[in-house]
Amino acid sequence: MLGMMYCSKMAATSAGRALSLCRQFQKSLSISTALPLQHTNVLTSCKAQLSTFRPKFCLLHINNVGTSLAQQCRALHTSQWRRGLEEFFDETPNWGEPTVKSGAPWTAKQLRTKSSEDLHKLWYVLLKEKNMLLTVEQEAKRQRVQMPSPERLKKIERSMKRLDTIVQERENALRLLQTGQERARPGTWRKDFLGRTFWYRFKEYPIPWYLNRRYKRKRFFTPIFVDSFIRLRIESHLHRKILKKKADLENKRKLQEQFSKLSART
Amino acid sequence: MCLSVPLPRYPLYQLGNPQLRIFRTNFFMTLVKPGKEQPPDTVQFRIPMEMTKCDVKNYLEKIYSVPVGAVRTRIQYFKTDRAMLTSYLAIRFPKALSSLPGLQAQQQTFQFPEIFPQKDTALEPGSVEEMQDQFMQDEQQRQKADPRRGGVTEWFGL
Repeated sequence: MLGMMYCSKMAATSAGRALSLCRQFQKSLSISTALPLQHTNVLTSCKAQLSTFRPKFCLLHINNVGTSLAQQCRALHTSQWRRGLEEFFDETPNWGEPTVKSGAPWTAKQLRTKSSEDLHKLWYVLLKEKNMLLTVEQEAKRQRVQMPSPERLKKIERSMKRLDTIVQERENALRLLQTGQERARPGTWRKDFLGRTFWYRFKEYPIPWYLNRRYKRKRFFTPIFVDSFIRLRIESHLHRKILKKKADLENKRKLQEQFSKLSART
Repeated sequence: MCLSVPLPRYPLYQLGNPQLRIFRTNFFMTLVKPGKEQPPDTVQFRIPMEMTKCDVKNYLEKIYSVPVGAVRTRIQYFKTDRAMLTSYLAIRFPKALSSLPGLQAQQQTFQFPEIFPQKDTALEPGSVEEMQDQFMQDEQQRQKADPRRGGVTEWFGL
């Protein structure tokens, strides 16, 4: 399923398993497209395919065959995934192994090709996998044993981060097109009591601001006596800028002195 | 329990608002073996501090389809690891622990399995590991004190 991608050079035993999973996934994907998209349905179909194997050819099947099966498989039931709490642990053959093979994490480029529904399912697959890895990690710490392949955790985290980036990108695009708003959370530029300008992000309150005592204690204006300090701050900023410029020129001059005889110039 | 994505700010709820729905949870739960003996239908998890009992129940029922009865949570304090020590004041920090005596609904029991069974790895006769192992054993033998001294250390000798 859409778990972590495995390299194609896998053991022969897993190829058969991958094929069967591929078929299961085919069926369940077609069913999920046939049935109305409710939250629970998405999750049940997702549960049916939990596995850490995701062979490349699985994807090809979906692209070619998905639409035709949708019409036929209206009344089919997917088998309920009954593992329940066992999903918090790795597959039984992997217990006690010093290393467990896992593929590369999902890249942003690959994730951008997936539909939102697929990404939603993938999120939960990754979530379950991460729960499993955290369980194994904690158990290993308890038993004072090395956890097999701890790099899997990092891979999952990266995949999830990238998934989130892509979902955010899509949401941003939709919001820009529909409303023209650049940001999801409204905000504004304000001056704090020290005269510094910052982006204040709005927060939701059940009462208006003039009744909010704690909010009124935050001063979003600069008192007059701070002006001299603002001037000093500007001076020091300019001074630092000039110093930096001078230092850059000096550095350039030194390099020129050392390397002027070379013909190649970048 | 590091969050891969920062927790969202939930919208304010007032009476009459629609039910809050979360489409991609950021909560991770770790199954832990309880320190004390628990009844067979109880499972224990480590959950993030932001999770409530309802959250835990929905999480397990919807994502793992595990029938849940009652959920009990408590806060347990943990010591910071050296790597996480940013300020010397934050020595103890809380993490929530939830135990779920819950599977009574379906008469299911849960036994925490042995994930790291002892495997007798017989090393191959000609392999590098075997030679390394042999070498280490010889070294240790050489480092041991003379058995004729009867456990007395070298400090007392000549």
